[in-house]
Amino acid sequence: MKNNVKPERAMKNMTQASLAELIGVSRQTINTIESGRYVPSAVLALKISRVFDKPVNELFELEETD
Amino acid sequence: MKSKLLLPHACRMYGLIIFIPFLVLGIAYANSGFSFSFLDFKLPEYTNDSFHGKGNLTDEITALALIVSLLMIGFSEEKVEDEQISRLRLDSLQWSVYFNYLVLALAIIFIHGLNFLSAMVYNMFTLLVFFIIRFRWAIYRENRLITNLASHEE
Repeated sequence: MKNNVKPERAMKNMTQASLAELIGVSRQTINTIESGRYVPSAVLALKISRVFDKPVNELFELEETD
Repeated sequence: MKSKLLLPHACRMYGLIIFIPFLVLGIAYANSGFSFSFLDFKLPEYTNDSFHGKGNLTDEITALALIVSLLMIGFSEEKVEDEQISRLRLDSLQWSVYFNYLVLALAIIFIHGLNFLSAMVYNMFTLLVFFIIRFRWAIYRENRLITNLASHEE
């Protein structure tokens, strides 16, 4: 699964730590999501979409292999 | 999302504090049969053990303390307990079960007689030990990746 969390975060001028705090996870978790090593649960994806005020499918995208 | 069936974060440190002295005691017991004489007791009839005659609780207490402390170290919440940590924990648990039984299989093949009994005794604890090592290593790896990244960004 591809994601645009990093560019969105950069646009909002947020650090990994501040995003992490807003949605109640560790900074490591944001890092693993951004680098594609971890696919978040639906709950977490929805929380991220609420912070960026964007629909989930604009932030996360399925890949051929999914 | 609170994960269930985990101990509070502080239990990890208490677990470590219990673990270290009992590890030393356990090694002393295993290597030289060290035991506290005040823990002697008369074996109950049902054990039917004419070989020993009397029992000593040093090994029982040590084994229980080691198991409890390892569980406390392995299954306490992290400072920030979230779903990604849960996944690391489950991955590590699966890995350690595989690894532990691989080690046991090797012991079955290569260790015979009374030595095998010792191997089985160690095996009671190795599952938890392997799990803790693997889990801590996975967390360490994540942390190192994030520090590398941070130094790149700056």
